[in-house]
Amino acid sequence: MASEPRLVVIFLRGGCDGLALVSPASDPDFIAARPEALRVLRTGDGAGHAIGGANADVDFRFHLQAGPLADLYRAGDLSLIHACGLTEATRSHFEAEQRIERSAQAGAEGGWLGRWLKTLPPGADLPAIAVGTALPGSLEGSEAAVAEELGNLILAQGNWLAPALQARIAAGFGNHGPVQASMQQLLVLSAMISGRIWSDSDGAVRPYAPAHAYPDDNPLSAPLMTVAQTFKLEMGTRLATVDMGGWDTHVRQAGDFGQNVDWLSTALMAFWRDLGPLQADTSVVVMTEFGRRLRSNTGGGTDHGRGSVMMVLGPQARGGRMLGRWPGLAHDALEEGADLAVTTDYRVPLAEILTTHMKTADLSPIFPGFAARPIGLFG
Amino acid sequence: MLTRRAFHQRLVALALTTALPRVAMATTGGATDEVFLNRLTFGANTAARDDLHRLGRTGWLDAQLAMPVSDAGLDRRLRDARLHMSYAAGDDGEYGSWPAVDEMRPLSMLTTDPAGLVPLLNFTNAMDYSERTRPANEVIVASLIRAVHAKAQLREVMTQFWHNHFHVNALKDETTAVFFPGHDAVIRDHALGNFRSMLGAVARSPAMLYYLNNADSTASPANENFARELLELHTLGAEHYVNDTAPHWRDVPGARDGLAQAYIDQDVYEVARAFTGWSVGDGRTISDGVDAPRTGRFHYVEAWHDPYQKRILGVEFPPNQAPRADAEQVMDILATHPGTARFVCRKIIRRLLADDPDPAMIDRIAAVFLAHADASDQIAQVVRAVVNDPLFDATPPEKFRRPFEFLAGLYRATGVDLTIPNQDFDWALGQAGWRQHSYGPPTGHPDRADRWSSASTMARMVDFALYAHDDWFNCTTTRLSDLAPERASFDALAEFWRERLLGAAGADSLDDLATVFGIDDRSAPMALEPDDLQGLYSSIVAFLAISPAFILR
Repeated sequence: MASEPRLVVIFLRGGCDGLALVSPASDPDFIAARPEALRVLRTGDGAGHAIGGANADVDFRFHLQAGPLADLYRAGDLSLIHACGLTEATRSHFEAEQRIERSAQAGAEGGWLGRWLKTLPPGADLPAIAVGTALPGSLEGSEAAVAEELGNLILAQGNWLAPALQARIAAGFGNHGPVQASMQQLLVLSAMISGRIWSDSDGAVRPYAPAHAYPDDNPLSAPLMTVAQTFKLEMGTRLATVDMGGWDTHVRQAGDFGQNVDWLSTALMAFWRDLGPLQADTSVVVMTEFGRRLRSNTGGGTDHGRGSVMMVLGPQARGGRMLGRWPGLAHDALEEGADLAVTTDYRVPLAEILTTHMKTADLSPIFPGFAARPIGLFG
Repeated sequence: MLTRRAFHQRLVALALTTALPRVAMATTGGATDEVFLNRLTFGANTAARDDLHRLGRTGWLDAQLAMPVSDAGLDRRLRDARLHMSYAAGDDGEYGSWPAVDEMRPLSMLTTDPAGLVPLLNFTNAMDYSERTRPANEVIVASLIRAVHAKAQLREVMTQFWHNHFHVNALKDETTAVFFPGHDAVIRDHALGNFRSMLGAVARSPAMLYYLNNADSTASPANENFARELLELHTLGAEHYVNDTAPHWRDVPGARDGLAQAYIDQDVYEVARAFTGWSVGDGRTISDGVDAPRTGRFHYVEAWHDPYQKRILGVEFPPNQAPRADAEQVMDILATHPGTARFVCRKIIRRLLADDPDPAMIDRIAAVFLAHADASDQIAQVVRAVVNDPLFDATPPEKFRRPFEFLAGLYRATGVDLTIPNQDFDWALGQAGWRQHSYGPPTGHPDRADRWSSASTMARMVDFALYAHDDWFNCTTTRLSDLAPERASFDALAEFWRERLLGAAGADSLDDLATVFGIDDRSAPMALEPDDLQGLYSSIVAFLAISPAFILR
């Protein structure tokens, strides 16, 4: 079980400014269009982390507060796909997230990860976990567990009435649609997880003890700890999703964005170290619904744009490279004269991960009608 | 009115004489009346059942739609409520320090003039951050008290609906928090009124102007955040966004005939220009030597407005219109657009009746919306049309009580008084995915069962059912043992609570609970100590609430 490949999808909600996360720092069109505070600089105290292996003509740099990401990149564990996103020109959060997470025109049910999950043989205790309080669109149509932490899935934790409640729920929710299905799932998950993390002697859930400390005061720490704990409990978990909000930086972007990048970078590094030997079977994708406008607005922020950067972490992929075609930021190269153009469909790297890392032979049910050409993540 | 003791004595006397007492309880028609109330209130309770029985459905609806915002009983409860403020002494490193605080404060920000709230934004006034967010937290605490105790239940239901429609995350930062009481008042005042008036009031609401960044939008480039959500979330809806299929305004159906049926990014850009200068009177610097007033209200800055010609949804806007006229014209177009009528009416039907509203019913209700576009009670007319629609009765109870509604419905049903000495309930709701007035995305909380029926959310609702009446949950000081007979038989008690929780619809057996509690003779009066009674009663309430009849409406 432990050697089965796993995938973690971290979705940056709100539209992450890829141009500020992995910045074309030397690009004259970029420098001309953006105020200094919304660019990564090349010199001085605020200089970003230079990356090698990228486009020969442009000095790409990680954001100053993305030091751990730069370390992962230099270690060969992290790949970048810039100018990546939806090929359809939508700048609506809702539309873009829904299209990406469904990854299919009408006709295919549920989300892309939900459809992938259906290709698995049944039998795993907990094949997928969505960290949060609701199923994300990508996992729709599946019976993935939803929880911020595993203990939340235990019914009436420690209450002496729990057995009677279980019996009542098992008997009393027939023919009530979604309520019945979720109540039955709750009973199954509750029994399974109690057996693994409930301590009768303490009368409490045993707290998770990570192998590596996670940063305090970081909204991504607890969700990623839940993922690591789930993987280590060997419940046959193949998929995990985590959402991180706060990327919709319409005003005063510089401070908020830097804080988000710091949270993302340090929590991801802690998670990666915590996984230890499980790294070998784990791939992490960091994606967003769109990038942001090349020009900033008058409020020190940026409005909704198009292309952004996707990141893939995992030693199986040959990291330390920036893949895809960089279209440049000259006016003629911009989409609708305004935004970084999308030159790599977001499904291209996802398809390559499913095929090569997750060993999925047939992608047609997952990305119907989409013929992906690998961009070389794995070779 | 009966005193509590007399009430008890009466109950006990009756409980002793009959196994199934039906006391102090107005039973109404059948399950349908219960569902009717559960759709149009935060949950059926004894008083609502009584009103419905007395007035009939039409009379009840008329009375609800006519009820004013002001409610003396509710005002008294809000005056009596307290917010627990607790923080350590601190120092902001620049402007000063503050002492530790641990005290119960009245909800005084709810009625403070907005000008009096502006100083909370001033960072030269050193204070703990929770002082700056206190106005929002007062609204959050008040919202549960209102949901449980407001007489104008339908207005409260629609207020919650519009809060999620015109969503502002009150706890996003201090700017949205400080002016949130005013936003709440705008929503409640217009909840059953005219949509165009509400649109205009929301667009001027400082909390909204901050939340979607229009307060900072100046020519040029304008900030697009509010403009995009005005189209996508407040009026036409994402279903009318066709940017990927229409590259130019002329390509949108209807645009060349005077009114586009849908919108594209070019419309977003133009709407953003129309709203430039719509800002907040928070003392901000307009230009050298010119500051905005400190009113805490909407403030229009003509110098920031982009005055030139625009084309929005195919409509030409002349250059140099009068102050604010561009944006007012945008809202005029949107509020009477057939696309808005469909989008908004679908959401209203989804709230009151079914996750997937019938398309023909949407058409019927949207026609009412448009026909009464100029009426001061436009939304009340729409709600009335929903309730009077043949599908309202014909639709089975399939709406899922979301966590806030479940908790409020539980308190309404049992009949306890909410005092809420702290915000633990808000944290508990957050665990279930409900963030009252502080949901992250600008969409507001989703309104379909599949977004709320995950196993972990169900587990939290089980927790609410089990613990909401416990002392440590800290919402009410009413003990269930004060509300029900002390020496009744188990069967009598079960019937008492079944009537309160499920009305006449209840048929759930509680044999399992009797067995767990080791009660052999369920028709014999029990003599239990008060604490044991409380435990038994809260278990009965929990077992009744964790049932499809309570969870679905």
